[in-house]
This record gives sequence, structure tokens and C-alpha cells, in this order.
Amino acid sequence: MDAKRVLRAIDKPFVAALLMILALGLLVLASANRAMASDSLFYVKRQLVAIAIGAVCAVALMRSDYSRLSRYSRYVYVATLVLLLAVLLFGREVRGTQGWIGLGSRGVQPAELAKVMVVVAFAEFLSSRQGQLNTLRELLPCFLYVGVPFALIMLQPDLGTAMVMVAVMFGMMFVAGASPRVLLGVMAAGAGIIALALFLHYSFGTWLPLQDYQLMRLSVFLDPYNDGQGGRGAGWNTIQSLVAIGSGGFWGKGVFHGTQVQLNFLPELHTDFIYAVVGEELGFLGAAGLLVLYWILLSRALQVAFLSKDLYGTLCVVGVATIWLFHVVENVGMSLGVMPVTGIPLPFVSYGGSAMLANLLGAGLVLSVNIKGNRSLF
Amino acid sequence: MQTTRILVKKRIAVLCCCCVAGLLLLFVRVGWVQAVRGPELARMAERNRTQDVPVQPKRGIIFDRQGHELAVSVATDSVYLMPADVRESGRSQEVAATLAAVLGMSAADIQARIDRPSAFEWVQRQVDLSTSTRLRRLHLPGVGLVQESRRFYPKKTLAAHVLGIAGIDNNGLEGIDLQYESLVGGTPGRIVVQKDAAGRPIAQTTHRYEPPVQGANLFLTLDETIQYIVERELDKVCQEAKPEGAIAIVMDPRNGEVLAMASRPTFDPNRYRDYPAENRRNRAIWFSYEPGSTFKIVTGAAALEEGSSSPQSRFYCPGSITVGKSRISCAHSRAHGAESFVQVMQNSCNVGFVSIGLNLGLDRFYKYLDAFGFGKPTGIDLPGEAAGIVVPRARATQLDLATMSIGQANAVTPIQLLAAVSAVANGGTMMRPHLLKEARDQQGKLVKKVVPRAVGRVVSEETAAELRTILQGVVTEGTGTKAFLEGYQVAGKTGTAQKINPAGGYFSDKYVASFVGFAPAEDPRLACVVVIDAPTGYSYYGGAVAAPVFKEIMRDSLRYLGVPMQGVQQQAVAVQAPAEGQVRVPDVVGLDLTVARAALQDRALGVKVEGEGLLVWSQSPCPGSTAQRGDAVTVRLTTVSRQGETVRVPDLAGKSLREAAETLERFGLRLQAQGYGIVRSQRPAPGSSTRPGATVQLTLTSPWGGNGEKKDAGTEKDD
Repeated sequence: MDAKRVLRAIDKPFVAALLMILALGLLVLASANRAMASDSLFYVKRQLVAIAIGAVCAVALMRSDYSRLSRYSRYVYVATLVLLLAVLLFGREVRGTQGWIGLGSRGVQPAELAKVMVVVAFAEFLSSRQGQLNTLRELLPCFLYVGVPFALIMLQPDLGTAMVMVAVMFGMMFVAGASPRVLLGVMAAGAGIIALALFLHYSFGTWLPLQDYQLMRLSVFLDPYNDGQGGRGAGWNTIQSLVAIGSGGFWGKGVFHGTQVQLNFLPELHTDFIYAVVGEELGFLGAAGLLVLYWILLSRALQVAFLSKDLYGTLCVVGVATIWLFHVVENVGMSLGVMPVTGIPLPFVSYGGSAMLANLLGAGLVLSVNIKGNRSLF
Repeated sequence: MQTTRILVKKRIAVLCCCCVAGLLLLFVRVGWVQAVRGPELARMAERNRTQDVPVQPKRGIIFDRQGHELAVSVATDSVYLMPADVRESGRSQEVAATLAAVLGMSAADIQARIDRPSAFEWVQRQVDLSTSTRLRRLHLPGVGLVQESRRFYPKKTLAAHVLGIAGIDNNGLEGIDLQYESLVGGTPGRIVVQKDAAGRPIAQTTHRYEPPVQGANLFLTLDETIQYIVERELDKVCQEAKPEGAIAIVMDPRNGEVLAMASRPTFDPNRYRDYPAENRRNRAIWFSYEPGSTFKIVTGAAALEEGSSSPQSRFYCPGSITVGKSRISCAHSRAHGAESFVQVMQNSCNVGFVSIGLNLGLDRFYKYLDAFGFGKPTGIDLPGEAAGIVVPRARATQLDLATMSIGQANAVTPIQLLAAVSAVANGGTMMRPHLLKEARDQQGKLVKKVVPRAVGRVVSEETAAELRTILQGVVTEGTGTKAFLEGYQVAGKTGTAQKINPAGGYFSDKYVASFVGFAPAEDPRLACVVVIDAPTGYSYYGGAVAAPVFKEIMRDSLRYLGVPMQGVQQQAVAVQAPAEGQVRVPDVVGLDLTVARAALQDRALGVKVEGEGLLVWSQSPCPGSTAQRGDAVTVRLTTVSRQGETVRVPDLAGKSLREAAETLERFGLRLQAQGYGIVRSQRPAPGSSTRPGATVQLTLTSPWGGNGEKKDAGTEKDD
């Protein structure tokens, strides 16, 4: 397949939006970097390396035929489980989560990669069951299929990523034609079980897989000043993020000039709370602009899914788009104080090699479906 | 297959809707956070990164009416630390230990401050000079000194109750310093320090400095010299009569300006913590007591004004009178017999006043109680004024009327009584007493000027004039003779009442002796009230205890003010009206150096002091002569001790017999006089040393002899 045809077939708005998001991400990362490290480009350099590696992989994936992937779905699934098991057995613990596998001085987060890998495997699992997703009995294998990696991620524990898994599972199953009634029923049942568990925990002190401080972190966004320390405890992050975004105004304070950023009031500003950097330094213009770019990215991806010649391609793209949507809504929502604080990154913007690699692989997958799976081209 | 594909596409469309919904929600939320909550959050961001270090303004100076400093501000150093800097230096334990040793604090306490997430912490405020010098030499990292100002009252106890106190934060806590806090306190400035989340000040950023606005200077109506005289006399009476409290106020009845206000027990506002809180009470405006006979001025004024009595009204006093079931007696149960209104006042006859009150009736009596301002604060510009207690009108009986007429049953404050009597002195118009004359900012611009305010007319000019004459009689002929002052016509009234027991009823053995009056009676310049609370000793009567204090205050104050004397010296004064640029030399012989100095400086005369001691025994040029402004008057001093040693004989030339006697009494000398008029010569000669108790022989001649003797008397003094 020659480059000309690829260039003609490729979804240009998607690529443009992706490149602009990456550029914006590097810009705010540079600002966050300056506030954090003595080497003012330390994180930017490492992020560039991750982008480079990711880009190579993405281009390779894009140029390959995605449909061939379906044949390897079993191996991909097994590899995912092995990775997740390995991290539980040999992983390093960072901030209470055993999520890192050391590779020399650096490390990777298997959970980030697992998201895309599960999408690739689950798409095949679902498309082979097309038309047989109408009863709970028929859906149960699907739940179990995703349930295993989900459980492994929960064991780290990484609640945020685990929730992404759940969202992706429901999103892909929904598009694959699963009965919405059953899906809603399962969701309601899950919510009911969680509510009951919480109720029992607070009333009778029954066991929960989460510590109390973790629960507090999840619920404090509703009233960040009521964290038992007057906003200096678990609510601090939400408050400082809101202050940063709110004080940005329409035009923003300018890159490198956000006081919340540069004076270190913002926690985790290069990863979880990088959206607050955008909000403070680039104002409404940058914050809303980034959302528009995500909208272009997601709508174009869904367009690709829409036009895909087979269900496998559609489901792959839907899975990737669901990952991104969930990440954006959760991460930005957390920065804006409307979502609980869980540490999941903003796609293509937050610092983090594994996430960047996974997201770029996802983009490569979307473009592969875009190029190879577009019926209008053939 | 086809239906499935359509289903899948429908589902993708639904997913797309989810995308739109999710992103739209975030979009709206971003807009809301930035547009609606933006200003509020921007302020929070500002507050986040800045810390205000307050800079206290200097309090304004409080001056007396002549421009003498009564309260000033002095700079002291306060120790602070910048926690982040200390932590960064890595020597925080050493810093805490050193500071603890130098400042006498606990190291743990200082360590706690170092560990605080702030950019600025006080360690100790207002340390003394040696401590701050030591700290400056130590150069501890992150520890600094900042200049703060502290109130200092250079005259110590002088007018302590009026001036009040200012606390550690340089804020007024009592007295004038509290009353005019907004004027004299100034506006604090601040240093805005930018800090990061760890509380570390940002080096590159410029610290914004908003300088404090210094407080305005206050000019009081007080006169330091008269205040000094009053304080001196209260100290004297406290030593002699050992009362529980003593109060004196001097006021100009014409405009309500309070010239002096003092109260005992007192305190040093610089060290107010060393005194019991009780001492800080300004009794002049707080002490509520039954005024006793001094109140009869009010009863008399009401009766004369209403015409229910006239100066010629006749009364008969059998020694007591029965009202309802109670008997009210005169002092010592003495029967005064038949008397006129004037005599009733002179004798302070209870029976007479009960009749006057009963003739007046409750309604009219209450009308005047209210008009004279009893039962409500006078509105003087001091915090903590009491309202006094008046028997409620609705409950008042005839017996209440009878007792109120003689100054019982109601409780008044000294300032209330003085304001009321001043109204009589001022031709019937009552002025609101006040202490602030004006306030000027640091550039000298007028910020506030107090215009004397009339509370209202309480009695007519005629009634006031009649009363003044009658009250003069009290001093010349009646119970107030101890307040008689040679050269000045004094009007006034004594009072003695049983002290109210706060637990109810009266103390059987405690009295409040008081005197209230004014002078000169025909053209009052000064009104004064003296209240002695529970004097001990053989005599507790107002006439015996309070009247002499009143007299001493009035004499020195009137002389200091240069109020012309009536009688002898007035003649001399009238002859020599000073020319332009010239002033008349006041008589300062027999005065304290402080008072003498003030009296001379007041007339733009210099002072040259010779000798040591406290009392002036001689002066040149002589009193009454004229001098150029700026000329120096030489005063010669002597020590006075009652126990022996020697004392210099004062120069008495030109004084009346009475004045000479008073002066000699101060020197502890006795007097033997010949002739009539003013002192012409004396033996021993002025300036010679003699033992206390020795006798000085005086020769007096009439000043109207017409043979030039007066001039001789003048020249004779200079030896």
C-alpha cells in the first residue's frame, strides 16, 4: 500500500486533532516541569521519548492490517493476564499501588497497556458472539472475560483503571448489540451492591476492599472543605485545582505564569491535574479548546467505527474511543470538582510513558481501521 | 447481517450522544468555574500565595491644650521568623535553642513555629533593647527584627485615667486612647509576602509594602499644669485622710472643657499590669455616690426657677421634720430656727431643703433632675461612663422627694454633678463636658475640631445669678468656709453623705465627703468638684476634708491662669495694663517649681532656676511688674522638710496677709503681722535661712497710701 493512498484515506481531522492535543500537552507539561524539577525540560524530554516510541508503534500498527490482529486475540488476552500477574508478583509499589514493573531505571505500568490489549482481545470475543448477546446467560461469559483482568487490576489496587475496564466493557458490549435492558440491569445491580456495601461498612463496619482514607478521597470532591482538615487534607487537591482553573479567567495567566502551578499549590500537576495547568495558564480559551479537540478526536474515531467494514474493526475503535472518553470525562471532571479524585491521566497530555504508548497504540488502531477497514475505499 | 449492522450503527450513534453529553457537561462546568466563580477563585489564588505581615502604625501623640506631650509612641523591636528560611538553613534546632535562650521561651514552642506552613511568624513582640541588640549580633537565619511602636506615657500617673492605656498590639484599651482609637490609632499597613505552597517566600518577587497611616495627634482640653496641681492635691489628701478613693475634676464652665481630671487610686499606664484592675477605673465618670448636700444646689435652682421659693422665703427649722412616718434631721440634730432661703443654703439645713423640695412637688423636681442630666451619662468623650441612679418617677413617694431634695436616694457621678453646677456658673446654660479639643494629622492638617456644645438651658440667667450670690455666701459665711480663697470670690457647696453599700443599704461608718463650686463667682472661669470616698480620721465632713482640697486646686489654678484677683491686687493690676509685646510677671513665690515654670512659660517668659528644692521662695522681676516676652524670670528654690534642717524665708513683698500666711504655711513658718494691707517688709529678710517653725514678722501697709511705698516694696525685693 503506497503512501499516497494512505494519505488520501487517512482521517485528517483526527490526525490534526491528535497532533494539536500532543503539542498542547507538551506546552503545559513544560510549564509544569519548570515548577517541579531543576532540569526544566526533564519531563518534556522523557515525554518526547515516549511519544517517539508510541508513534513508531502506532505507524506500524496503522500500516498493518488490523483484521490480522483478531487471530492473535487469545495470545493478546493471555499476554495481558501475564503482564498483570507479573506486576502483582514482581511489581514496584508506588504510592500504595503495585502498578509498576521495572525495566532498568524506568518502568512501565502494565495496567495502562492492558486497557488497549483488552480492547483488542475483547473485540474478537464479542464479534464471534454476534447475535447471541440477548440474555444474562449469554452475557455472563463476556463479564467473566473482562472480569479477570479487572480483578487483577483491582488487586494492585488501581480503582481508576479498573473502572475504565468496566466502562470499556459496557461500551463495547452495547455497540456489539447486547440487550440494553440486561446491561442496565447489571449496572443497577452493581451500583446496588456497592451502595449496600458502603451502607454496611458505615453502619456496621463490615470489610471493604478500600481503606477509609481511599473512600474519603473518592467522596471528598462533593465538599472539599469537609475533609476533616478544613481543606488541607483530602480536599486540598480539588480546592487547589478549582482555584487554578477559576483564577485563569478567559485568557489565562500565560504559560509559565500560573501562580497555582509555579508556586506548587497544585499537586500532581504534571499527571493527574495537568488540566488545571491548562485552565490556569491558558484560561477558558485553552481549557475549552482542548475539549473541542477531544470532541473532534472522538467524533472522528466514532465515524471510523461507523464506516468500518466489519464488526471487529468497529468494536476495536469503539473500545479505544470509550477509553479516551472515560479518561477525559473522569480526569477533567476531577479537576473541575465534579468527579471523584482517582489517578487516571488525561490522554495524550498527562506525563506518563505507558499511558502515552497505550494511547498512541489506540490511535494507530483507529487509523488502521480507518485505512484498511473503510469499505468506501474498496 | 444487515439488521445487525444497522443496530451497530444506531448504537454507535447513541455512544456518540454520550460523548457529546460528557464533553458538553465538562464544557459548561469549565465556563461556570471560570466565568461565574472566577473572581472568587482568583481572590483565593491571591490569598494562597500571599501572606500579609501587618505593619503597625505609630499612634498619634496626645497633647494637652498647651502642646505638652502626655502620651507618645516609642519604637521597640519585635522578633519574627520566616519558617521556610529557617528550615532551609538546616539549623532549625540550633535556631530554636538559641532563640529560646535569648528570649526566655521554650525551645519546643519556637520549634513549633518553625514547623508551621506559613511565611511569617512572630516570636516575641516588643523586646527590650539589650535583647534586640544581642539578637542582631547573632545573625540567625530566617530570624528578623521589625520595628513596632509602643505607647509610652512620659508623665506616668499624670492623667492616667483620662489617657487610658494601649495594649501590646498598639491598640487603645481604655480612656482617650480607646475613645478616639479610629483617630489616634492610625491605619495598619502591611507587607505582602509572596510564598509558595511550602510557605517559602519567593525571592524574585517584589514584596508589596503598603505603609501604615500614622495616627492623628490629639489635642486635649486638659491643662498639664492644672492636672498636675490636681494630682498633687489628691496625693496630699490621700496621705492625710487615707480615703478609699479620691476624685477631682476641673472644668471651664463656659464651654465644658475639662482642664483636669484625676482619680485615686491611680496607676502608671506604662506598667498597668502591675496594678490591680480596680486602680484603672476612672472614678470621675464611674463612681456613683449619694451627693448629699452638694445636690442642694440643684434643688435650690429648681425652686428659684419655678418660683416656688425665693431668696427671701422664710423657713423654720426645729432640728427635724417628719415626712410620712420618717424623721429627717439636720446635721448634729441642730435646730437652725427661723431662717431665710439664703441661710438655709448657708447652713445646709436639711429641714429647710425638705420643705423647699416638698413645695416644688415631684413633677417639677423630676423636670429639673432630667434637665440637669441626672440618671443619664453626660456624654463626655470617655469610655465607661456611668449613668448614676435616679429613683424611678413612677415609684417616687413624698418621702423620696424629701430625701432627694437633700441629695439622698439618688446616686450621681462626679462629672454629672460638676456639669450640673457648671450650668449654674455659666448663666444657666449647661455645656457638655469634653476632653478633645482637636485632632491634627501628621502634616498638621485639622482632622477633627470639637466645638463646645450646649446641652440646653436649665435655668434662667437671673436664677443662675441669684444662686451664684447665695453660693458665695456658703463659702464666706456658711459650711464651706474652708474653701474661702483670698482674692477670689468662690461659690460652692459642701456635701457629706453615707456611702452606699453595693450589697444594699449604707455603710454605717463610711462617708463620701465632697465639695463642688466655681470661681470667680461673678465671672466663673473654673468649676471644680472634689469627692473624697470614705476618708478616715476624725472628720469626714465635706467642709473639713474636701473643701481645703478644692481651695488649693482653685488657688493655684486661678493664679496659674492669671485670673485677676479681686480686692488688693486687682487694683495694682488695673493700673498697669501691659503694653504690646510685654507681659505681666506672675506671682510664683510659694508655688512648686513645676507650677511656677508652667505659669511663666505660659506668658512666654523664660525660667532661670537658682538653688535646689521644690518651692519658690523668691523671684525677680517681682510679681506684677512688666517684662518683655522672652525675658527670663529668675526663681530661687528651697527645700522644705518638716523634720528640721533649714528653710529659706520666702519673699512675701506685695502679698496680702492671707496669701502671706498661706505661703509661709507651705514653708513651715509662722507669721506675726503688723498693720493692714499688703506686705511691705519682713524679718528675717527674704532668702535668709531659718529653722522650720520659726516666726516671720511682717509689716503691712495700705497700697493706697499714695506715698510711693508700693514702688519701694518692689525694689526692696531684689536682695
